[in-house]
Amino acid sequence: MRRYLVVDSSVLIFYDRRGALEDFLRQKKKENYTVVIPKAIALEVVDEAKEFAEEIKQVAPAAANRILASVERISAAVAQGLIQVVTVNYGKYSKVMDNVRKHLSRLDAASEYAVKKGDPELVALVIQLYDEVKEKVFVATLDKGLLKALKPFIKDVEYEIMKTWALIAINLDVTLKIGILD
Amino acid sequence: MVEKTVEILRAIGNLNKARIIAHLAKHRGETAESIGKHLGYPLPTVYKYLRELEAVNAVESEARGNTRVYFAGEFKLEVSPQKLMEAFEEQTMMELYKARFGAEGVEKLRKVAAKAKAGKMTFRQAAASLGITYFEFVSLLDEVGALDA
Repeated sequence: MRRYLVVDSSVLIFYDRRGALEDFLRQKKKENYTVVIPKAIALEVVDEAKEFAEEIKQVAPAAANRILASVERISAAVAQGLIQVVTVNYGKYSKVMDNVRKHLSRLDAASEYAVKKGDPELVALVIQLYDEVKEKVFVATLDKGLLKALKPFIKDVEYEIMKTWALIAINLDVTLKIGILD
Repeated sequence: MVEKTVEILRAIGNLNKARIIAHLAKHRGETAESIGKHLGYPLPTVYKYLRELEAVNAVESEARGNTRVYFAGEFKLEVSPQKLMEAFEEQTMMELYKARFGAEGVEKLRKVAAKAKAGKMTFRQAAASLGITYFEFVSLLDEVGALDA
């Protein structure tokens, strides 16, 4: 039975900094999880990280090299199929993403246009995958704020704390969720 | 990785441990008893050394029946004055952040990180409010131990 595990950037960075990313991903594969990330998250951990490394390489070459090495490892994990990058269907889930942006901008008293794509795309991806398989979708993140942002969009939340990160098993009732923040 | 260089140096920076690796490079798949006998080390010492060397993958082991046999790990250590300098003088992400944003920036980071850690904003919101990338923000949180439960 295919189980989706949507992994946030925070988890990828956490494990990679410990030299344990590949082990983590292979372990999840062994446990029959398909590890997925939305495109916005792939951009964060690859393109944005590369840009940051470029920015600092004159003043901190060793740090820049470490970041580029991390980018290479994550890119290799994608190339090897250990992480699948999934495009969120904006046409179908734009309403969900708008609602997530509104919700987050209220928390931060900031413009919803300032909300970065990663959060709404992650939430939309969870719903998109549930629509596809109609089974629990798992989410791994170290970001409590993101877990709270997910809550209004899901009916039941079961928290399973695994070591240092929270793994949520989500049963979704999609129709109910989209209506909540209108 | 320079962190790996320091880790391996720390683990093998002892002549007896280096001898164990050299011995295993020549005699693959030996038990701890056999290593101790060949090199003249007490068995508890051999086990201690093997544990420390395995932790940095300088040595690997596998179970064979009721016993465990050891092999030299696949590692390459580049030791030069330049590499040692890089290993010990690399800047942390926090030092880099402070150099760019000053003490005021560090204070702002502290407040924003506390809010993010408490779940009052997402990490992405926190990074955006500081004008830094998500990658940098999470790395900073990790450096200060704010990502551990």
